[in-house]
Amino acid sequence: MEKMARVTTALGGNALTGRTMFCHLDAPANAISVCRDAAQVVVAGRNIFKIYSIEEDQFVEKLNLRVGRKPSLNFSCADVVWHQMDENLLATAATNGVVVTWNLGKPSRNKQDQLFTEHKRTVNKVCFHPTEVYMLLSGSQDGYMKCFDLRKKDSVSTFSGQSESVRDVQFSIRDYFTFAATFENGNVQLWDIRRPDRYERMFTAHNGPVFCCDWHPEDRGWLATGGRDKMVKVWDMNTTRAKEIYCVQTIASVARVKWRPECKHHIATCSMMVDHNIYVWDVRRPFIPSAMFEEHKDVTTGIVWRHLHDPYFLLSGSKDSTLYQHIFKDASQPIDRANPEGLCYSLYGDLAFAAKESLISSDSNRKPYIGDRRHPIFFKRKLDPTEQFEYISSSSALSVFETDMESGSMDWFVHTAKQYALAGRPLAELCDHNAKVAKGLDRNQVAQTWTMLRIIYSSLGTVSSANLNHSMGKGSATLPLMNSFNLKDIPSGLGSESRLDRSKGENRTENILMDSSSTLINNEDNEETEGSDVPADYLLGDVEADEDDLYMMDHENPHAEEQEYSLPQEAFPLRHEIVDNPSALDHLQDKADSPHVSGNEAETVSLTPVESFSLISISHSLYENRLPTDFFNPIVRDTLLFYAEQGDVQTAVSVLIVLGDRIRKEIDEQTQEHWYTSYIDLLQRFQLWNISNEVIKLSTCRAINCLNQASTTLHINCSNCKRPMSNRGWICDRCRQCASMCAVCHHVVKGLFVWCQGCSHGGHLQHIMKWLETSSHCPAGCGHLCWRARYRRSSAAPWSGPTPPSPTPSSCSGSPSPGRSSCAGSPTTRHSLFLRGQ
Amino acid sequence: MFVARSIAADHRDLIHDVSFDFHGRRMATCSSDQSVKVWDKSENGDWHCTASWKTHSGSVWRVTWAHPEFGQVLASCSFDRTAAVWEEIVGESNDKLRGQSHWVKRTTLVDSRTSVTDVKFAPKHMGLMLATCSADGVVRIYEAPDVMNLSQWSLQHEISCKLSCSCISWNPSSSRAHSPMIAVGSDDNSPNILAKVQIYEYNENTRKYAKAEALMTVTDPVHDIAFAPNLGRSFHILAVATKDVRIFTLKPLRKELTSSGGLTKFEIHIVAQFDNHNSQVWRVSWNITGTVLASSGDDGCVRLWKANYMDNWKCTGILKGNGSPVNGSSQQGIFNASLGSANTSLQNSLNGSSASR
Repeated sequence: MEKMARVTTALGGNALTGRTMFCHLDAPANAISVCRDAAQVVVAGRNIFKIYSIEEDQFVEKLNLRVGRKPSLNFSCADVVWHQMDENLLATAATNGVVVTWNLGKPSRNKQDQLFTEHKRTVNKVCFHPTEVYMLLSGSQDGYMKCFDLRKKDSVSTFSGQSESVRDVQFSIRDYFTFAATFENGNVQLWDIRRPDRYERMFTAHNGPVFCCDWHPEDRGWLATGGRDKMVKVWDMNTTRAKEIYCVQTIASVARVKWRPECKHHIATCSMMVDHNIYVWDVRRPFIPSAMFEEHKDVTTGIVWRHLHDPYFLLSGSKDSTLYQHIFKDASQPIDRANPEGLCYSLYGDLAFAAKESLISSDSNRKPYIGDRRHPIFFKRKLDPTEQFEYISSSSALSVFETDMESGSMDWFVHTAKQYALAGRPLAELCDHNAKVAKGLDRNQVAQTWTMLRIIYSSLGTVSSANLNHSMGKGSATLPLMNSFNLKDIPSGLGSESRLDRSKGENRTENILMDSSSTLINNEDNEETEGSDVPADYLLGDVEADEDDLYMMDHENPHAEEQEYSLPQEAFPLRHEIVDNPSALDHLQDKADSPHVSGNEAETVSLTPVESFSLISISHSLYENRLPTDFFNPIVRDTLLFYAEQGDVQTAVSVLIVLGDRIRKEIDEQTQEHWYTSYIDLLQRFQLWNISNEVIKLSTCRAINCLNQASTTLHINCSNCKRPMSNRGWICDRCRQCASMCAVCHHVVKGLFVWCQGCSHGGHLQHIMKWLETSSHCPAGCGHLCWRARYRRSSAAPWSGPTPPSPTPSSCSGSPSPGRSSCAGSPTTRHSLFLRGQ
Repeated sequence: MFVARSIAADHRDLIHDVSFDFHGRRMATCSSDQSVKVWDKSENGDWHCTASWKTHSGSVWRVTWAHPEFGQVLASCSFDRTAAVWEEIVGESNDKLRGQSHWVKRTTLVDSRTSVTDVKFAPKHMGLMLATCSADGVVRIYEAPDVMNLSQWSLQHEISCKLSCSCISWNPSSSRAHSPMIAVGSDDNSPNILAKVQIYEYNENTRKYAKAEALMTVTDPVHDIAFAPNLGRSFHILAVATKDVRIFTLKPLRKELTSSGGLTKFEIHIVAQFDNHNSQVWRVSWNITGTVLASSGDDGCVRLWKANYMDNWKCTGILKGNGSPVNGSSQQGIFNASLGSANTSLQNSLNGSSASR
């Protein structure tokens, strides 16, 4: 006690000053120790043993203790300790097992005092008794600890740990007779210096070697230990069983631990491999160091606080042959760089936000931010206990801000994607439909764009639909959908068209007035070139139409194989014709838009065009009739680019698909591909696999088109023998049976297979549906009342959906990761889902 | 309106990052307590922690999801100088761990000698790649040559940035016209006027990443950086969190106009700069269309930014971290129906004004 009072006074009268500084040593250091006056430091290593004085802004070499001609192994130090009571007394632990004491008061150059050659192997640690001048303790690799009385030639007592090598020995600061020893097998032992026969207490502190320990300078019960398991643990020894009260996880094995003076919970550590930094931890916040010194380029071997009662100066020696003095205000604070907040926008517009609680609590935000986080406590000389408390209690609050349903942020995207019609109808209808969708979602600008497109590219929408009906017999049969809706949908479509026309009338007149004069001349040429295009298109359509005529006949007859025909269409890109076909049709109609309406539709339809024309100025519409649609292409292109730049790639791609060839050449392939990939990626994010697949199918980019074909493998097993089928046909090699026959037409079902869950017979969707319209029994003749099953379940449930029992796509290998099942949209899944969608 | 749903995260120290997965149905958090937690959204919108495990022996700075095509894969980076790749194992569930999924470490990337401050997976079209950056100023780009084998990653590129790196962002553009590009932010706080945001672009000819641009105007420490989702734009939008929020546009100049070196030149504009957080801005995050930017700062608030039709960026909402309403957000009326585009629903709801359409 008396000693301590003296030191405090000394410090009070002569506060430490200095700065972060270093000096080069001649050789790597193994250990350092500081003189009790905090003015000198001794550095010891295999090839170095020197004393430096710590000046204001530099280290000055005071004394080289390695003297003599021939180098002695006695000088090769593993550890060094400077007596805290006697300024002249030092002890070193030599790697050859010798414990040497040094007396600086000797007049000769050689200060070596005593030599104890009792240990058989390297001495890892020496330690002076804190209050007893002549008592020295050593711990060695040979597993023994020895206590020396410096007045005697030999050790006074030997302690056998009966464990393994001793890595550290430390006298308790408060208990006169107690010392702690740590061992390579993970044990810590407490000894009474008077009882060398056995330890007082032993416990396993770490997994693997315990490299170091340190008694708390104030709290007599606390012992900190550090081990190869990267942990620093603080033990409360006051209880009968050593209790772990804190545990700090560092990133490398812990070589030294040293409690920070005057800061009850702070401890400095350094590592013996990998990590060269020195950390100061607050043991109450065990995950993140409160300070970090990063100066050393190699492993730090020794750390010591410069003064017993000063928490701001830390000395360290390293294998990089430097001796450093670290000042706390120069330390880097990892927590300072650490982000106190996390923020992420989700797909649907929700925001996840995690923030340090003190940042978001209502009272702390009234305070200025400075001083709270940016300037942690050790910047200040005075330690404020309340601040310290705040410092350790850091936790984050996590919350998700959800957008509510009606504002639904991204719902518009999903709805739009689902409702847009991209193909399979005449252009005008597509545009109108999409305009309606956009309008329904309050997207007026997009709706207007669609309306404008309709006006630009099929201004005589009614005529074209009449034409369409006229040509339907031949042309549109490739689009089976149209058969059903054309007749009933067109009238309503007309109504909305004329209304939209009215609303768009002004816009259109503007456009036309703007350039009408200049384009009139061009018209002739354009008309010609286009005219030359048309016959080719027309011919193409014609050829197809012939084929389709046959199909029309089949259509009446459900036993035909049109199912088989349509499937290849879905699977292979030759369906481009289908996509292009409506455009070809419309193209045709645009050319032939002089109202040569023919057929029996003429009366019903011819009224409406006149009406809509009368609403707009007729002269304009006449002009427009002459205007080639190409004329508007630059404007449309700019529109699409505009949407893309606005982040609305959906509109850009949808228009691109709907307009098809009309606009395709205006936009370079790369941009189109970019739009497609972006849109598809977005659709897949929303798990809109069907739509994404549809977009892929409808795209005209080669790179996009092959997306849903590349690396898609269907493995098909026979439904009878459950073995894989060869690729050559639909007859199983082994059991010689045809897989999955349609109960109605007795052909193999290669696509959508529906079956009754009651009797498990089934077949082509259309065949079965047709069958069930007229019959209530199973088409296979098994006698099951499939029809009734259907009504009993009051849904389509008994006729189950598209996962065919056979041939079974038993697994899909979609590159790149077939095995990862959580990939919800593996190509096959998407494909079958898409089938269900139809 | 936004509804705040508070989640008992139960991390024992600060949460440094939250990250949604590709489909927005899962969320990962990482914390200084050395653990990562995975949260799954239930049918009724609640978030349930389905996994929590110790990932590192130091603070975990960032966590990020890979594209689901590669499986359920997370990457984390830490103060312990490593980055790690984790994969969720589905299959036989242990009885006592029902409802908990199991994540296994597939690899540890140990090349850094200092704290790894950020990790990001590359856009899917580049394959299975990830980039890390570390406090010693090195950006490392790894690639898993075999996407089925997540335990083999080869270090493809090491870019030395000279400045301590704090954050990285891949340019998400899938266009062939845009070479792979990565923006790096530095939190170096020494008093210099070096550019704290650097942009590196992959050069096909040299097969190396080379510095394409540096945002000279950003000289304060940068805490976060984020490219907006590209969605077919011809230019790139970059948000920077430094002492204020900044938004840059990078317009690639046409190749023929640039020198034949192969590196793209950019026309860089700062389109917005806001110091409304009054202090350090820690995070920026874009919505899925790249039209709304969220930022969070030392004021504990999340602020939402959006451009109007004139390309003027304005604050469209303030969210308090504890869910309490913020008064004094005086930006009502700035937005009106002239925005026209569909994305207005968000800020309309935020402003509480129903724009007449």
